[in-house]
Amino acid sequence: MSVQAFGQWLYTTPAAAAIRETVWVIPTVQAIHILSIAVLVGSALVSNLRLAGVFAADEAPTTIIRRYLPWMWCALAVLLLTGLLLIVAEPGRTLNNAVFWTKMALVLFAFVLTLVFQKPLLNRQSADNGPDRSTMTKSAAWLSLGLWLAVIFCGRFIAYT
Amino acid sequence: MSLQTVLQSIQNSGLSLWIRQNPAIFPIIESLHVVAITLVFGTIMIVDLRLLGFASHRRSANKLIAELLPFTWGAFILAVVTGSLLFTANAPAYANNTQFQLKMLVMLAAGVNMVIFHMTAHRRIAVWDSVSPPPTAARLAGVTSLILWVAVIYVGRWIGFTLDILF
Repeated sequence: MSVQAFGQWLYTTPAAAAIRETVWVIPTVQAIHILSIAVLVGSALVSNLRLAGVFAADEAPTTIIRRYLPWMWCALAVLLLTGLLLIVAEPGRTLNNAVFWTKMALVLFAFVLTLVFQKPLLNRQSADNGPDRSTMTKSAAWLSLGLWLAVIFCGRFIAYT
Repeated sequence: MSLQTVLQSIQNSGLSLWIRQNPAIFPIIESLHVVAITLVFGTIMIVDLRLLGFASHRRSANKLIAELLPFTWGAFILAVVTGSLLFTANAPAYANNTQFQLKMLVMLAAGVNMVIFHMTAHRRIAVWDSVSPPPTAARLAGVTSLILWVAVIYVGRWIGFTLDILF
């Protein structure tokens, strides 16, 4: 079954119709989606700027990652759930949309960077804050931040393509 | 000059016309508006939660506020600039939209809440800077701010579903 055929089938399911036909559901789910991405990007901003060496330099990176990484996972879970509901309701708007797939690729890339550069810091001793902030880590931090902003931009842009 | 004539002259301005005649412009501005909003909420939420007594990445509330607020303000300015451009594109439609009016009111309330916080609890911050839980006035300001900004985002999203688009 092609993506298009799947989208058309999904559109006809009772679940999709229920979400579409109750007027407050889509705006509410979208608002929760925006709030969750705000939680994620706030956490990503603080964490990545710290790893880039331009924010809260007096606090150990481990302290900051421990504080915000769990928030990012929770936000991601809510984003996937609400995002899934929005796809079910309006498959045509997303599954056939190049901006949507670009966004998904960017999300995946940003989370791989988070796993590689942030997660290992969780197991480090806070005191172990040696001068090992490599150029690699700093570049990854700036790249992650840029990716998240691009994800948000694409998210709204989906509505127009 | 009445409000409706002001709105109509905004609508007839070259800037308004330019946004409406270039179909790519409005989505770009709106996407930037959402980027700005997420940064406003994402940073202010960290401060609000600290005011409520949830531990943040540093102990000092004052230092946390000082290091995060520039980001909140920077993002807020971007949100106001992009928001004004969106408004310019369809001034009468936005001005007459209930959700838009509500959003402006709720933002005003958030501003008042912030002023009250700075005039009360923030003045004595040296006393409770690293004390947990923070004083009632600070916790009240934190929870009020959170509720109001969630409401801003919620009614803001509703504008897109209720606006009479004129182009």
